[in-house]
Amino acid sequence: MRLQVRFVFVILCCAFVHHSAAKTEAQYLNPKILEKKVTIRSAALLPAKVEITKESAKGSEMMVAESADISSSVMEAVSYTLQQKKINVVANRFEPASMDDSRKYQLADIQTRYDALLPKLVKKSKDVKNARFTLGDEVMLLNVHKDADVLVFIRGQGRMFTKGKTAFSIINIFDLDFPFATITVGIVDARSGEVLAFTKPMSASKVLKDKKALNKMIEKSFKKFPATAAQ
Amino acid sequence: MNPIRYCQIFLLTLCLILTSLPLSARVTTAKPNTFATVEDEKFAFGKVDLDLLSEIKLLDERFEKEGVVFHEKNLDAYLNRVGTAVVADKKLENVEWKFRALRDPVPNAFALPNGSIYINTGLLALLDDENQLAAVIAHEITHVSERHTYERNRSLRKIMLTMNIINTIGNWNPIGGPAGLAISLIASVSPFMLAISVLGYSKDQEKEADLEGLKAAAAAGFVPDGMPNSFKAMQTDVEGEQMNSFYSDHPKLQERVNYTTSSIGADARKLTEDEAKTAKSDYLTVMELADRHDVELAINEGRFRSAVYVSQKLVNLHPDSSENVFYLAESYRMLGPRNAELTDQQRTSGAKKKAAKTRSKRTLEEQDAELLKTPEGEAAWKANSEKSETLFLRSLELNRFNASAHRGLGMLYERLNRKQEAAGEYAKYLELAPNAIDTERVRRRLAVLRESMN
Repeated sequence: MRLQVRFVFVILCCAFVHHSAAKTEAQYLNPKILEKKVTIRSAALLPAKVEITKESAKGSEMMVAESADISSSVMEAVSYTLQQKKINVVANRFEPASMDDSRKYQLADIQTRYDALLPKLVKKSKDVKNARFTLGDEVMLLNVHKDADVLVFIRGQGRMFTKGKTAFSIINIFDLDFPFATITVGIVDARSGEVLAFTKPMSASKVLKDKKALNKMIEKSFKKFPATAAQ
Repeated sequence: MNPIRYCQIFLLTLCLILTSLPLSARVTTAKPNTFATVEDEKFAFGKVDLDLLSEIKLLDERFEKEGVVFHEKNLDAYLNRVGTAVVADKKLENVEWKFRALRDPVPNAFALPNGSIYINTGLLALLDDENQLAAVIAHEITHVSERHTYERNRSLRKIMLTMNIINTIGNWNPIGGPAGLAISLIASVSPFMLAISVLGYSKDQEKEADLEGLKAAAAAGFVPDGMPNSFKAMQTDVEGEQMNSFYSDHPKLQERVNYTTSSIGADARKLTEDEAKTAKSDYLTVMELADRHDVELAINEGRFRSAVYVSQKLVNLHPDSSENVFYLAESYRMLGPRNAELTDQQRTSGAKKKAAKTRSKRTLEEQDAELLKTPEGEAAWKANSEKSETLFLRSLELNRFNASAHRGLGMLYERLNRKQEAAGEYAKYLELAPNAIDTERVRRRLAVLRESMN
């Protein structure tokens, strides 16, 4: 009887995970965007930082090369989505090989500023609607393309399970330990540093392998974001 | 015997064995030599270790690409000289020694198992002389030479596997009665026990690195006192961050000071007062540029008290340096409504926890606004802004072409709502540094100011 109850619970959990946790998108827009006080015509994408780990029954392992690859894929997906919204994405001026030390430092410092703000953004995302968050006008030190209206910060985390870990996670389904990918995109005014939009799509880890699924996830996460041409 | 009874005994025994496994991994054997050479090294690389190594190498490259490593010609050469002296001519398989400064204002240092030793600019700024630096480097070198990362990785893998198995047994334990209860109990407390064993293991390695590092630094000709003195320097809790965690009921750094001090022989070389002064002055001179960079980093990360602490050190070293005075002025400006030094009340554990909670919840602007509403905050801002203005003016007195001082003064006046003066300072900055990296930023500020004045 006890096992039967557990079995039913497992089935319900699986159904829940498949249905609702498979793709969750959350989008928060600054009133300046909603009230069309700010028009975004052009965006500069900062290098994405998506970290994925391989989880086995013996713990987690770094996937440094794979993380770099997936970071590029997520950047492409965000770039594609912005272009779909008729927002011009300015050429990437942040290739490590083309930057000297001082430029690398400036980029790293701005990324650090964003990383310091990120936990608050994630925790209190709704406050983006109250225009609570800003990186300050230090963002101008990046001297991105003159036409760039916004800077786009991309962060993400993902867990990929080995077969052994998958088996353990199925057996211990009550622990709710699943592979997942969560990505956050912050759109920041390139002059004032104000956070204009923030999205945090979450999905099952298949988006880390499937570019189409990744594009779809990012696209959905920008659903509420207005297209420039419409303004 | 009843088959259920067999099952109970089997599962209980399995649980007990698995629980004891990771604890046995904590037992470390005494290692007589500090650095094993390629010839006499007993460490055999397995696939797991080589996989870890290849990931670490990629990570190391990434640090460089992402601008996390601080490069300055003299500093690079200096770190390399001290590091190489401690390493001597010992060579290890899969290790290529590199000694670099990491752009991070948090006082810390770490070693990657491929031989890359990183010392945060925050720690470089906190240390007082070369002997302390050598001690920090020697400590990290020991982690590499004793293959601590690989050992810990191996141990963690065993622990994680054990945890997963115990967890599974606990979740699917079909047995009732006292045996079933015992199994469930072991399963529920095992993660806690294992977590403690992981932390304890790390503590053993740290102690080994301290003691072996001390020997290595002394063998390379550095004063052994550098090790306990480096811990004493790290005890300077400028930001009020050092908190006792659940597993340590005693001051960890003090313990390290004690056991390293007691391991130094009575006849060991010590610095005279004059030698100590010279050593400090020499070290700070080499670190001057790195320290200035650290002040910038500390300000960027909202560690304003650290910024004041380090820039004050710079001013004490060269009081007539316009640049150093500028950094101190900038630090006081950014300190805003905070007091420069923590009060006794702010050093209490409760106050530190409260401050950490505030930091995690509020943005810096919100923290400033809240503090300004209090009489203490208001008084601190008044004192800090006055000090900042005096220092900016002093910096300009020392070098009237110091454009950064004009910019800083402009920002201070802007915050004090002295718009006319702020606009004047910004204009001077643009005149003196027309091609600076932040010209656009200052131009924008000036435009907004002028608009608001009209």
